[in-house]
Amino acid sequence: MATERSYVSYATAAVAVAAIPLSFVGPEGLRLAVIGLLMLAGPGTALVLLLRFDPPRSAQATGALPLSIAIAIAFSLAMSTLVATAMIYARLWSPPAAVCLLSALTLVFLGIELKRPKRALVRAK
Amino acid sequence: MTHETATSLPVRSAHRHEAHAHVGGAKPPTHRNLGLTPSWHIGALAAAAAAALALGVWSMNQVNPFQIGGAGLIDALPPAYFVALALSLAGFVASLSLRRLVPALLTWQLLVTVVLLDGADPIIHGLPRLEASFRHLGIADTISQSGQLDPTLDAYFNWPGFFNVLGMLSGATGAKDLFGIATWAPVGINILLLAPLLALARRLTANPRQAWAAVWIFYVASWIGQDYLSPQAYSFLLLLTLIACLLSVFGGWAWPTERTRFSRWLARSVSKLDSSVPRYGAAEPHRADTAILVVVCALILLAMTASHQLSPFAAIPILAALLLTGRLRLRFLPVLAVVLPVGWLLFAASTFVEGHFGQLLGSLGDIGANSLGALSNRVSGSDAHMFVVYTRMAEVALVWVLAVAGAIVGYRRKAPWLAAAAAALAPLVLIPLQPYGGELLLRLYLFSLPFAVCLAVLPLMSDSAAGLSLRRALALLLMGAVLATATVVSRYGNDGMESFNDDEIALVNHLYATAPTGSVLIEAVRNTPWRYQHYADYDYRALVAAEPIPNAAPLSCDAANQIAHKAGAYLIVTESQQEAAELRGSTPTGDLQRFTATCATSPGWTKVFENAGGVIFHIEGVSNGN
Repeated sequence: MATERSYVSYATAAVAVAAIPLSFVGPEGLRLAVIGLLMLAGPGTALVLLLRFDPPRSAQATGALPLSIAIAIAFSLAMSTLVATAMIYARLWSPPAAVCLLSALTLVFLGIELKRPKRALVRAK
Repeated sequence: MTHETATSLPVRSAHRHEAHAHVGGAKPPTHRNLGLTPSWHIGALAAAAAAALALGVWSMNQVNPFQIGGAGLIDALPPAYFVALALSLAGFVASLSLRRLVPALLTWQLLVTVVLLDGADPIIHGLPRLEASFRHLGIADTISQSGQLDPTLDAYFNWPGFFNVLGMLSGATGAKDLFGIATWAPVGINILLLAPLLALARRLTANPRQAWAAVWIFYVASWIGQDYLSPQAYSFLLLLTLIACLLSVFGGWAWPTERTRFSRWLARSVSKLDSSVPRYGAAEPHRADTAILVVVCALILLAMTASHQLSPFAAIPILAALLLTGRLRLRFLPVLAVVLPVGWLLFAASTFVEGHFGQLLGSLGDIGANSLGALSNRVSGSDAHMFVVYTRMAEVALVWVLAVAGAIVGYRRKAPWLAAAAAALAPLVLIPLQPYGGELLLRLYLFSLPFAVCLAVLPLMSDSAAGLSLRRALALLLMGAVLATATVVSRYGNDGMESFNDDEIALVNHLYATAPTGSVLIEAVRNTPWRYQHYADYDYRALVAAEPIPNAAPLSCDAANQIAHKAGAYLIVTESQQEAAELRGSTPTGDLQRFTATCATSPGWTKVFENAGGVIFHIEGVSNGN
C-alpha cells in the first residue's frame, strides 16, 4: 500500500511539475493531456494523499477508494473553477498563471504530506 | 481496491454470521466457505464484458444515421447491439451473484455498460450531442479569448464557473478546438460519476452488493441526457461528491437528541421509522483532517454555486433532509447552501436577476403549471415521438414504484431506507418555485435518481452480504433489461434532432466565412450546431423555437424579411432543424421544405451555399438597396 501511495505521489508531482512549462509552450496534444489531468485530479489527489484515505486492514474495512477518488476529482475541479473565476472577476485572466497556481497548490499538498508522520489517519468502517 | 467479501458486512450481519459459525461448530476451511471464486469465473466474466464492448461498438458503427426516424436511435440499431447490451447486463448480475465481490470486475463491467448506453452518439455521429454543446464551446472560447464576462449577453455569463474552467483549459493548452472533449463528454462524465455514486450508495445501503446494484440501476435508468458538456453535468458531479463526503465523514445528529422536546421527538420518530445504524462506508478522519474536509465541502459548494443556477438550490433540500434524519452533523452547511446561491443571485448574477425578475418569480407557488403543466406541454409531437414520451414517463414511473416498494421493504426489514427516501423526495420541494423552462421535472428526476436507486434495489436483493439467489438474480436482470431497453428508447428518442453531421458543420463554417462580423444570423428553427465560435460576434436570431406549438402557424418569409429589414441578414436552414420541427411539432408537417422553396424565389433572397446538411440564404436589407 505504501508503495502504491508513493507511485501516486510521484505521478501527481510529475504532472504538476510538467504542467508549468507546458502551460506556456509545447505540443497541443501533450499540453491538453497533462494540463487536463492536472485540472481534473491534481490538487485533489495531493489532498487525498495528505488525508490518508487509504483502506485500513480492519475486519470491517471496505476501503475508502471510491470516496477518495470522488473527492480528488471534485476538489481539483472546484479549485480549477474557483481560481479561473477569481481571475475573471479580478480582471487578471491568465490561463498559464492559473495552471501554475494549481501546480503550486498540488506540490504544496504533496510537500506537507511528505513531512507528515507516516501513520494511518483515517479509519474507514 | 480491496476485495469486498463477507468480511465487509454491516455489523448486524457480521454478528449473524458469527452466531452461525458457533452453532455449526468449527468447520475445516473449504473452497466454498472461504468464499473463494475460481479465477476462471472472474476471467470469463471479464472476457464476456470485453466481448460485449467489442460487439456493441461494432454494431453501433454499422448504424446508418439516415435510418434514424421519429422514434430515435432504436429504429436504426442492429440486433447485435441488443445482444451486446444483454451480455453486459447478464455479466454484471452474474458478477454480483459471485460469493466474492470483485470490485475491479464490477467496475470494468459498469464501464462497458456506460459505453454501450452513453457512447452511441460519439460512436455513431462523431460529433457533440445537442446544439447546447456547441453553444457551450462558444462561451468557453469567448471567455478564453477575451478574459471577460458580458452578463448582458445571456444567463450563462452570470454563472460562468464551468465555462471559466473550459476557457482556462483552452487558453493554457492552446487548444482552440475542444470538439473531441464535447463529443465524448457523455461517456466521460458518466465514468467520473462512478466513484461518487458508489461512495454515496455505500452509505445508503446495507451491504456492498446493494451498493453496486444501485449504481448499476442508476446507469441503466439515467435517460435524461444531461450528461453532455454542460454546467449541469459538472455541478451534478460536484453535488454527488459533496453529499457522499458528508454522509461518509459527517454522519450523525447535528444536535444532542435529548436537548429539546422537538429534538427528542425527531430522534424517536427517525429511530422508529429506520432503526438501522449504517456503519458501512463511513470514514472517521482525525480532527485536523475533518476540519480540512469541512473546508473542502464548502469550496465544492462554492464552485457549484458559481457554475449552475439550479444545482445549488437542489442541494439545499437534500442537505436539510439529511440533517433532519440524523445523517448530517454539520448544521451550518445547509445554511451555507442557502447563503451562497442567494448571495450569488444578489451580487454576481444581479444583471440577470434585474432583467428576468418577472420570469424568475412569475410562477412562484404555481405547482400545477410548474409540474403537470410543463409535463403536458411535452406530451405532443408526431406518433413516433409520442411513443418516446410515453416510454420516458413509464420508465420514471417504474423507478419510482420500485423506490416506494423499496422504502416499504426497508421499513419492514429494518434495513437503511429513510435517508435515501428523504433525499430522493427532497428535490421535489423546488416544484413551487418555477418551471425552469419546462425542464424542472426532468432535472428533479436526475437529482432524485441516485437516492431512489438505493431504495429500488431493496425489493430485489436481500440484506445478507452473501451472493444472490437465482430467483433474485433473474428478477434483477429482468428489471435491468427493461430499464436499459427503455433508456435506449428514451435517451435517444430525439436523436434525429439532437445529433448533427459533418455537412451541417461545414455549412455553419461556410456561414462564418461568408457573413461579416456583426451580421444578423437567423436560424429557421432553434436547433443549429453553431456559436461554437464567434459567440459574441454576431446577432443570432431564430424564427421559431424547437418547442411543441399547438396548431403551429406556417413559417412566412416576412418574418425573416422583418428581421433583415434594416441591414440584411443570413438565414440558415439545416437538416436537424427540419427534424426538430417535425419531432416537436414546432411547424406544420413539411412546412420547412415549403418555406425554403418559397422564400428562395422571393425578391432580395440569394442562395449563398447549399450542401447535404442544409442551405444558407442572404436576405438583403434596406441599406443594401432593396
